[in-house]
Amino acid sequence: MIENLHLQSDMKNLSREQDLSDSVFFSENDNSLYFTYSGQSNTLEIRDLNYQIKGASHMPWYEQLTEFKMPYLWNRGQDSPVLVIQNLNLKVRSGQMLAIMGSSGYGKSSLLDVITCRERGGKVKSGQILINGQPSTPQLVKKCIAHVRQQDSLLPNLTVWETLLFVAQLRLPRASSHAERKKRVEEVIAELRLRQCANTRVGNEYVRGVSGGERRRVSIGVQLLWNPGILILDEPTSGLDSFTSHNLVKTLSRLAKGNRLVLISLHQPRSDIFKLFDLVLLMTSGITIYSGAARDMVKYFTGIGYPCPRYSNPADFYVDLTSIDRKDSQREMASREKVKSLAALFLKKVRDFDDFLWRAGESVLNVSEEPRSHIISEKTINVSSPSYHQLPGSMQQFTILIRRQISNDFRDLPTLLINGLEALLMSMIIGFLYYGHGEIQHSYMDMAALLFLIGSLVPFPVILHVIAKCHSERAMLYHELEDGMYSAGPYFFAKVLGEIPEHCTYVVIYGIPIYWLANLRPEPNHFMLSFLLMWLVVYCNRTMALWCAASLPTLHLSYFMVNALFNSFYLAGGFIISIENLWTVPAWISKVSPLRWCYEGLMQIQFNGLTYMMQFGNITIPVEGDRIVDALDLNSYPLYASYAVIAGISIVFVVFYYLSLRFIKQKSSQDW
Amino acid sequence: MKHQLLTAMRGIGNENWGNCQDPPEEPADLSSMPPRHKLSIHQVSYTIRERFGPWWDIGSYWKKWTREILKDISLYVESGQILGILGSSGSGKTTLLDAISGRLRRKGTFLGEVCVNGQRLEREEFQDCFSYVLQNETLLSNLTVQETLSYTAKLAIREGSKDFFQNRALCLLQVEAVMAEMSLSHLANKLIGKRASGRISSGERRLISIAAQLLQDPKVMLFDEPTTGLDCMTANQIVVLLSTLAHRNRIVILTIHQPRSELFQLFDKIALMSCGELVFCGTPVEMIDFFTDCNYPCPEHSNPFDFYMDLTSVDTQSKEREIETYKRVQLIGSAYKTSVIYQQTLENIKRVKHLQTLPPVPFKTKDSPGTLTKLGILLRKITRNLLRDKMAVSVRLIQNVVMALPLMFFILQLRNDVLKGAVQDRVGLFYTCVAGLPYTGMLNALAFFPALRAVSDQQSQDGLYQKWQMLLAYILHVLPFSILSVAMFSSVLYWSLGMHPEMARFGYFSAAVFVPHLAGELLTLVLLGVVQNTNIVNSVVALLTVAGVLVGSGFLRNINEMPIPLKILGYVLFQKYGSEILIVNEFYGLNFTCGDSNGSAGNPLCLFTHGNEYIETSYPGATSRFTTNFVILYAFIPLLVFLGIIVFKIRDYLISR
Repeated sequence: MIENLHLQSDMKNLSREQDLSDSVFFSENDNSLYFTYSGQSNTLEIRDLNYQIKGASHMPWYEQLTEFKMPYLWNRGQDSPVLVIQNLNLKVRSGQMLAIMGSSGYGKSSLLDVITCRERGGKVKSGQILINGQPSTPQLVKKCIAHVRQQDSLLPNLTVWETLLFVAQLRLPRASSHAERKKRVEEVIAELRLRQCANTRVGNEYVRGVSGGERRRVSIGVQLLWNPGILILDEPTSGLDSFTSHNLVKTLSRLAKGNRLVLISLHQPRSDIFKLFDLVLLMTSGITIYSGAARDMVKYFTGIGYPCPRYSNPADFYVDLTSIDRKDSQREMASREKVKSLAALFLKKVRDFDDFLWRAGESVLNVSEEPRSHIISEKTINVSSPSYHQLPGSMQQFTILIRRQISNDFRDLPTLLINGLEALLMSMIIGFLYYGHGEIQHSYMDMAALLFLIGSLVPFPVILHVIAKCHSERAMLYHELEDGMYSAGPYFFAKVLGEIPEHCTYVVIYGIPIYWLANLRPEPNHFMLSFLLMWLVVYCNRTMALWCAASLPTLHLSYFMVNALFNSFYLAGGFIISIENLWTVPAWISKVSPLRWCYEGLMQIQFNGLTYMMQFGNITIPVEGDRIVDALDLNSYPLYASYAVIAGISIVFVVFYYLSLRFIKQKSSQDW
Repeated sequence: MKHQLLTAMRGIGNENWGNCQDPPEEPADLSSMPPRHKLSIHQVSYTIRERFGPWWDIGSYWKKWTREILKDISLYVESGQILGILGSSGSGKTTLLDAISGRLRRKGTFLGEVCVNGQRLEREEFQDCFSYVLQNETLLSNLTVQETLSYTAKLAIREGSKDFFQNRALCLLQVEAVMAEMSLSHLANKLIGKRASGRISSGERRLISIAAQLLQDPKVMLFDEPTTGLDCMTANQIVVLLSTLAHRNRIVILTIHQPRSELFQLFDKIALMSCGELVFCGTPVEMIDFFTDCNYPCPEHSNPFDFYMDLTSVDTQSKEREIETYKRVQLIGSAYKTSVIYQQTLENIKRVKHLQTLPPVPFKTKDSPGTLTKLGILLRKITRNLLRDKMAVSVRLIQNVVMALPLMFFILQLRNDVLKGAVQDRVGLFYTCVAGLPYTGMLNALAFFPALRAVSDQQSQDGLYQKWQMLLAYILHVLPFSILSVAMFSSVLYWSLGMHPEMARFGYFSAAVFVPHLAGELLTLVLLGVVQNTNIVNSVVALLTVAGVLVGSGFLRNINEMPIPLKILGYVLFQKYGSEILIVNEFYGLNFTCGDSNGSAGNPLCLFTHGNEYIETSYPGATSRFTTNFVILYAFIPLLVFLGIIVFKIRDYLISR
């Protein structure tokens, strides 16, 4: 009904069409699905904002490296900083929906970046952003702003329903019951028209799943779930068909009416979407052309001599009117001049208002304030006590995350199969290569080679998998950490512990066939000791891969780093080059190489205490196993040292991994 | 009301409006005008059988259900017309385009027929007749706009004259004409670019991919969502451009997502789809009439596209809404089926089919150059693309040397004292060469080939060349880089570690390590032909090379003691031949010492005093096989290339499945 109030104010004889449009879309008076936001009402204020970004130098360091720019040249960018937002003044309150329109260019997304304190290579030159009177800080933003980004970052193997339910568990207050959470998820699914694909998996470029538009809606749903006071959406309708985007914006406008502040940026809203806006900010390359009530926009432009032609969408018309035509320099100059004069004109007209909104008459703007009161009364869930707002604690976050991770991993059938087959194939090849059930006993060199291979060949595919996987999930991790959905700690534990079942299966598939085929010492205690060592060394490499993946910004850098580390460990492993022949530096590396300790441990387990038959031509001499190990310089430390060192190295890597998660932004260049 | 709308539309219409009045039924004189082509789609339906649920939900996974994606669709378009297909996501727009262009996946059931000038097309003929511009453009980032287009032109056109220069000039002329037509001339010498900064805009990218299609002079052009992801001005420009293309005697069909009201009058025909059904198809004027007659007049100040699309969308918010909206769609759909417009379409289709003299099917310029010429053009194209990328070139050249550094760092100098690891170090070194060089080759292929693969997938569907030709061109263009980089690798490693100081032996060493490097790259290419995901290819190739070294090389396991099946397996591995050569090359004629002045004679390691003894115990007879091994080793290269060509021929089938 509020809808009608708006429309009637500037259009005549619309009643018939309104009825029609009500029958096309669902009518407004059906149940209000969302509980209204009942925290304090929010105000977002921007004062005299000037924001600039430097042209090329906001490229991250690794991209600069790939462009062959030496570090000392980085700050000497030849292109001067560009002012992407100029003199922006704005004041929005709860209950209003502001649409930022304008042709593509830096302005819109930069503004959202500044508001959400995510300055990517830019600098606020002057002015400030106030949320409820306080300057915005990342903490404040996390608490009260939900930000829907342009890219979707979701786990590919969960269904839509599960994705939303996990977020609901993480994001809804601790006090809400499971049934409530489920209900909320169902409401969001209905609202975003996702009912049909609720049980389809989300998918990504490799995994078939829901369509692109549906995935977009899931991303929006993720943010809608937690019912924030301020909702910011970056191009929410791009890639959606007109019907869905209409309904989406309608939902957003209803959310705004429920005492929220909604900010959206849009390229080119359709006419019917345009009608749903309260406030509009029209920007061209950072310059404000108009800001004020949407329904007054036509009036304003008509007033200054640009009437909107009939049957054309005012949004389209004015965006085109003010966009800068870059086809040739002459036109560009002309359009820039036009934009400048329009901006100056607007500034003159609104200088006297404290919220810098143009208004046709004094009374009109209050319309949106007045009907809010009766909406608040229709709360569906009573939100009262402050403790209700407490989010799940770390422990709960951890259990939710670990369940989410395990269900995602378990369903990735192709990857599981490939990993398993790889392990099996490798183990079969090595096992048959050193098939030990025959007549001839292996020479001690062959045995040594086998034991080295066991510890050094398998970790490598594991490393590759871990890195590829971490990087594919990185964008999501970055966004969720940035949103404050959970903190690094619970994620870290969920990741480290959640990988253990997969890890154990892998080692079993790999280790047992080799052990049996090669006919290594069959006593249970020897088997258990060897198995444990294998388990540890693979785990150690896994943690190394986790750390490399979390600490470096691109997939390729991570691969490079991990290759370098693994190769050094490998060469220093004591087999390729014998330990006593290593000069000082490699000898030190060998001290921290998990592969060397695994080799040493396995040699001790398999040789010590055993008499070995050695053949020299026709003579067979019995040699004590200990002596062989001594000769290879692998008996200098007791057996438990191997376990202790590998475990120690793993712990160091795990700690490094945690520190990287905690302090390095998990932003990956593969985001876009 | 309706009248107002029409006059208003005429009022704001631009110069194109004049051209797209209802075209005359038949051109008056066929001699002066180019022949009008007719595309008719008659009662097309497409169904697929799908699994009900995801695999982990076993109960529903085994159930299959039949999904109708297209239901009985008939369309009729003539040259000079632009048809816009509208519909919400999932309504079957893209599938309809796929059906028209013959690119449907094979697993579904397709009924009905697609005819051009009344003739049914064979499966192979589709790509020669239609040009299809996909949503994502695949362009090589280091070429300029003009280069991109002129390479395409060279691939598409063979001019009559034999003279090379004249030929070239003609190509250039054609490219210039197309660039002018697409208003791309001001960008001619700009690089397409890779990153967000400093590359040409997405609108311009789209224009380039359209221009590339125009070079083949197609008479029927299909566009899947040409305006998605572009800002409003560019989107408008593109649709205006497409309509001018249509008015130059072409058939243009496009699907469109969020059309703007100004575009309404640009289309000659508009098709509305919902749930796989054609709800309406006709001229804009007919459309307004039709919906007004159905009691749904378009309100003032609103975009007719949006209004009609909303009207025919099914809202799945709740069951009741769904039923209600679906009923409305059904109602409108059946009204259309009984309308005069639909009858007219059917009649047109029938009439064209029974025409006395059927005009020939308008194929694209089919007179393309021969295989060798194409290969040459592709080779030049991708070489230029590679050379412009400083990063890529240096990675290709330096990578192997970087791999040699840790080896040099760890070994420093090879010694002749057996107790100081004379044998062990050498074997370890060769092991790393044979295992590591394929790995760097794989990294190269993974970094650079997928982009080219995407380009070749698309261009081969346009009928410009075949996928294996791109593969072959790729292999040819990396050869010099591989040779150079392996030469750098071996000269650094060989001399700094102090291997056998004979010049010829250095040559043999380099020649022997070159094959593993190239074979690693070729093997990766073969796998990239069947597996799309590069991470999987990465781990599979890594596994294969490691397994190959284990089984084939004999460095880690004495080959004589291996089980018979593995021994046999060893004969098909290049690692076997490579490592035999390396061992013989280094150990032949090498003298060992053992400790200081025979002090530790009891040590079992001191049994070897000559390299030849080592060769005879580990690789019996390898010395005599030296030349044979080289021949076999080098035979692997053509073998893998051949395998790659076969795989990429299979890929043709896989992609269209």
